[in-house]
Amino acid sequence: MNREALANFVFNNGAIENESSVFEKDCENIAYLLDHCEITISQNDRFFVKTNVKRLQAEVLHKRYAALIKEIKTVEIQNGERTRAYTGIFDFGHTSPIWQNVLNLGIVGLRNELMQRAKNGTSEKQKRFYAGCVRIYDAALRFLARVSEFALNAGKTEMAEGLHNLCKRAPSNLFEALQTIIVFYNLQHDFECTNLRTLGRLDGLLYPHYTATEKTFAAKMLQDFINEIDRLEAPSNIPFAIGGTDEHGNTLVNPLSYELLDLYANAETTNTKLHILCDQTTPEDLVKQAFRCIRLGKNSIVFISNDTAIKGLKALGAAHNDATNYHVVGCYECGAQGEVTCSCNARVNVPKALEIVLNSGVDTYTGISLAENIPGSFASFDELYAVFEKVLLTFTKRAIFATDRWEEKYPLLHASPFFSSTYPSAMEKGGDIYCDYAAKYNNSSINAIGLATAVDSLVAIQKLVYIDKKYTLAQLKKILQNDWENEEILRLTVKNNYPKYGMGDPTVDELAKRIVERLARYVNGRKNVKGGVWRLGTFSIDWRWNFGEHTHATANGRKAGETLSQNTSATFGADKEGATAHLLSVSAFSHALTPNGSVADIDLHVSALQGENGINAMYSTLKTYFERGGLAVHYNVLDTEVLKKAKERPSAYPNLQVRLCGWNVLFSSLNEKEKDEFIARSLEKENV
Amino acid sequence: MKGLISGIKRMEIHDGDGLRTTVFFKGCPLKCIWCHNPESIDFSKQLAYFQEKCIGCESCVSACKEKSPFALNPPFPDCSFCLDCVNACPTNALIAYGKEYTLDELLSAVLQDEPFFKNGNGGVTLSGGECLAQPKFAVAFAKRLSEKGISVYVDTCGYVKQDVFTEILPFIDTFLYDVKAFDNDLHTRLTGKGNRLILENLSYLSRQNARIEIRYPLIQGVNSDETEKIAAYLSTLCGITKVKVLQYHAFAASRYQALGMKNTLPDVKTTFDDVERAVQGFKKHGLPAVNGINE
Repeated sequence: MNREALANFVFNNGAIENESSVFEKDCENIAYLLDHCEITISQNDRFFVKTNVKRLQAEVLHKRYAALIKEIKTVEIQNGERTRAYTGIFDFGHTSPIWQNVLNLGIVGLRNELMQRAKNGTSEKQKRFYAGCVRIYDAALRFLARVSEFALNAGKTEMAEGLHNLCKRAPSNLFEALQTIIVFYNLQHDFECTNLRTLGRLDGLLYPHYTATEKTFAAKMLQDFINEIDRLEAPSNIPFAIGGTDEHGNTLVNPLSYELLDLYANAETTNTKLHILCDQTTPEDLVKQAFRCIRLGKNSIVFISNDTAIKGLKALGAAHNDATNYHVVGCYECGAQGEVTCSCNARVNVPKALEIVLNSGVDTYTGISLAENIPGSFASFDELYAVFEKVLLTFTKRAIFATDRWEEKYPLLHASPFFSSTYPSAMEKGGDIYCDYAAKYNNSSINAIGLATAVDSLVAIQKLVYIDKKYTLAQLKKILQNDWENEEILRLTVKNNYPKYGMGDPTVDELAKRIVERLARYVNGRKNVKGGVWRLGTFSIDWRWNFGEHTHATANGRKAGETLSQNTSATFGADKEGATAHLLSVSAFSHALTPNGSVADIDLHVSALQGENGINAMYSTLKTYFERGGLAVHYNVLDTEVLKKAKERPSAYPNLQVRLCGWNVLFSSLNEKEKDEFIARSLEKENV
Repeated sequence: MKGLISGIKRMEIHDGDGLRTTVFFKGCPLKCIWCHNPESIDFSKQLAYFQEKCIGCESCVSACKEKSPFALNPPFPDCSFCLDCVNACPTNALIAYGKEYTLDELLSAVLQDEPFFKNGNGGVTLSGGECLAQPKFAVAFAKRLSEKGISVYVDTCGYVKQDVFTEILPFIDTFLYDVKAFDNDLHTRLTGKGNRLILENLSYLSRQNARIEIRYPLIQGVNSDETEKIAAYLSTLCGITKVKVLQYHAFAASRYQALGMKNTLPDVKTTFDDVERAVQGFKKHGLPAVNGINE
């Protein structure tokens, strides 16, 4: 059936009637899509096919969302969104099925367990859940049989045979295990439209099958798997993880960890992401192999600290075993085993809170009043800071309120029968993860955006107005309201010469610590409407652009509309003391306080990391950062092409470092001729 | 006691093993024509003006106590180095090279990265300029670091009194020792000084069982004919842990201009292959030579 016909069915069938119908309607829709979708196969496909159902159930969700907007969005919520001071929304997009169950039981095993449990279901809700799940699993098995036949006709006997087996039993070899992962990805991500954002710890999951497979054969199969995952065209990459520890603290690194890393280094992949879960038990050679991989330009590797992740999750109430067996979804977000990781619910704009304090409670762009009773002047910096903190917490409260409003409506928005059926808690309770809040840990998240922009601005205000007394606060307010017009010298002075977060200055970093600790006290562990708790994060990913566009000039020399700082990192160009200083700043506070995710972004040029000593230096930075309580690091090692772009647009690469005169300097600090010479030399090196 | 320092660089991987912080002492007895740290040659404080960064705001003029007609033409002979102009410059077009540090101040500055040293087998490298040209301060500084268990390397041109090496030797893990030419006349032409003292000190360190990494800056067509002679000499010494051949580049041109110094950088290119040939030349003599481009 073509996509339009499929859409007609699911849209008509998926309209909200009442709370009890959403689960049933979604199961009907998923079964219908499985039974009627079109299948296509390409020459490259080894494990599975493509269908024409992508995003259809997501559009059903969107229509339900649209129908609820008026009811949910109060003026206060709308004001937060219009000004980007605070926002709150549902998040069905950051999940990890419990892969052990998927691979141990297989599609047919999960279905059989549901059948077994259906016999014991007593309440209407339970009966509805088990029946709905069985229905979609039956449809899935029919679908797999259909795909198997289709593959056979297309001459894909390996694929056909694997699927034929998976209709009868759990995966029993490496090929079938990999095929099961891709099949389940399709079922959950494409048919159900609960975004699946990690393939799990593949080294552990696949190891038993890997050891039973001839090594060359296994390597080729894994390579084909990575390539096929790459072609799934998922939003924001598909991550997988290696490493970690068991509940006793023993490393889980095995020979497959090395193999996967090696394959990843050589794969032509742009759509996958690798999380390496490390601590002091992780073999040094694995981490160094990862750094060599990064040096080759594989910048999509993120290191996660086991210790910090586990500590943060346990502080939120996760059991030791669940925290140890955590997953990482999306970019840097860790969730305990059994947790539904709604990591992108609420956002609070930290610099906006300061803008509001300096503008009598009013948003500069829109004129919307966001805070009452803001004093016009402050006798001291501490007084100003206290009001800033109060406004920030008010915004946080409102962002939480907005998210609560949506999360109360989960039963009216989206059902996740495939996803839920992998969770023991959902299976035991007989309820859907979303419609019935059946996860073991039903947590919600809020991310503080623009931390460094806010810290640098506070430091600038303190120095200009309260220490050096070069300007009155009224004068500075006027300058910011006028977006630094006719004050370019002052703007550049503040931007280039004032102390900044990211330079390893303890006084400045203390402010970042103060903000994060206060937010953490307010957010972490706070009860949400789902029976879980709130978790704080400090990543801003690409939101920093959009939130920046709605944030007026800030006192750190940033002009109105420019981007806010990235994640937990320094503002661009502020890390002029180098990576070690940058990492000291970012680890000025414990990242166990930001269990929803935080990351230090470290940009380096490949020439600054030459030889084994370069690898040792990177290893040292990572180990030290994690010892100091950091959670995640993302190293960007840039190449000649990037240098060329940096020459054309220096402002886009203000903190790109290159090796010069025996040390590293900012590329932007070179003159044009030197830049040309450096590019030529870099090219020569590449051509050797 | 104070030391005059032209700069401190953190997370340095090219000045010895592991992750290091390098301290650039100001002033050098040699005047190598290819010097890529011209700000470290003179023993006095210097102001540098980077014209490309200047936006012409004249904040420096306003800030100058003497209200001098600031022509922005280095080397600013009448400057009292109050640094008001440097601090007032919004774009860092004015840079002061040469800051006086007490031992405690310098220790505090370099120990910021101490947590990284232990995880990266790193430490502190005394460089320059010529760090041993401020002998009392350098020895005292190395001693303090060594007492704290920090690995200390010295990057030296070797043109200092032998007594200085004797004094500092107990505190140093490895000497990064420059050998620029073997022929005395050529050495004099290229650096302004003969190499007899340098080679004597190198032999002395070798006899004292010091760990020595030789640094050979290769400037093709300038000192490239020296490779064989240097290699033959080095092969007679003990304690050479590495011979690192460094590729010449002319990236320091903007700093010569900014400092108002005559640019003496040779207009030649040294390629990867040139360096590789020199490396092979050392290896023929059984020396542990490496290509600096790869390290």
